[in-house]
Amino acid sequence: MKTKKGFNLRTVCGENIIVAEGIENVDFSRIISMNESSAYLWKNIQGTDFDENTLAELLLKEYEVDEATARSDAKALVEKWLEAGIIE
Amino acid sequence: MSQDHSTIVKQLPNELFLPQVVALLNEGHTVTLPLRGRSMRPFLEDNRDKALLKAVDKPQVGDAVLAELTSGHFVLHRIISIEGNQVTLCGDGNLTPDPLCRLEDIRGKAIGFYRKGSNCLDSTDGRKWRIYSWWWTRLYPIRRYLLFMLHPHIPYRFRKTKKI
Repeated sequence: MKTKKGFNLRTVCGENIIVAEGIENVDFSRIISMNESSAYLWKNIQGTDFDENTLAELLLKEYEVDEATARSDAKALVEKWLEAGIIE
Repeated sequence: MSQDHSTIVKQLPNELFLPQVVALLNEGHTVTLPLRGRSMRPFLEDNRDKALLKAVDKPQVGDAVLAELTSGHFVLHRIISIEGNQVTLCGDGNLTPDPLCRLEDIRGKAIGFYRKGSNCLDSTDGRKWRIYSWWWTRLYPIRRYLLFMLHPHIPYRFRKTKKI
């Protein structure tokens, strides 16, 4: 899986948000808010080829969680991101 | 976003959010911004329409512009006069103009609008906006009545309140 081009993480007013950005235009009418851990994952996988395992490993590296939780969280997150249309 | 029930719509405070939009405009980006408020009725509706903004060198009378009237207080209104450095703005849906601001308070210009959920831009160079603007600004003397006809409401002071 890959992050779709043009969806960049920005910090606006202390919120981590994904904004659709073209070469010229920045679209604030459809933004996706991310919590801290989700933003951390996005920063690390943006532009790379990743899957649920990559996300789970990143979670294990950064947070004190057991592997099963990390895996189920990673799976849920991938589903959310697919639903939001920001990865492909 | 509204079709997804798990999505929470967040409203960022204007005074923190819009300066970042202005920074992007100054970097040369255009910015699509959802609109809030009823002050640009009847063309633009609260929570429904979006504006496409761009930085502006020389604002002209008739332009809809993003202006910072006082620190942190932004409006997207139409310029009704420019005298030297003094600019008067008035929302299309307002009866009284905003307090004077300066040319340098104008942060960007609307170059088009996305209305009624459409992905098709109504450009401010296009016929629709120009014809609407021509009429709407000339109808200013009867704006009060037009607005009332388009958006009827009874002012609070005339409403019958239920006494318990």
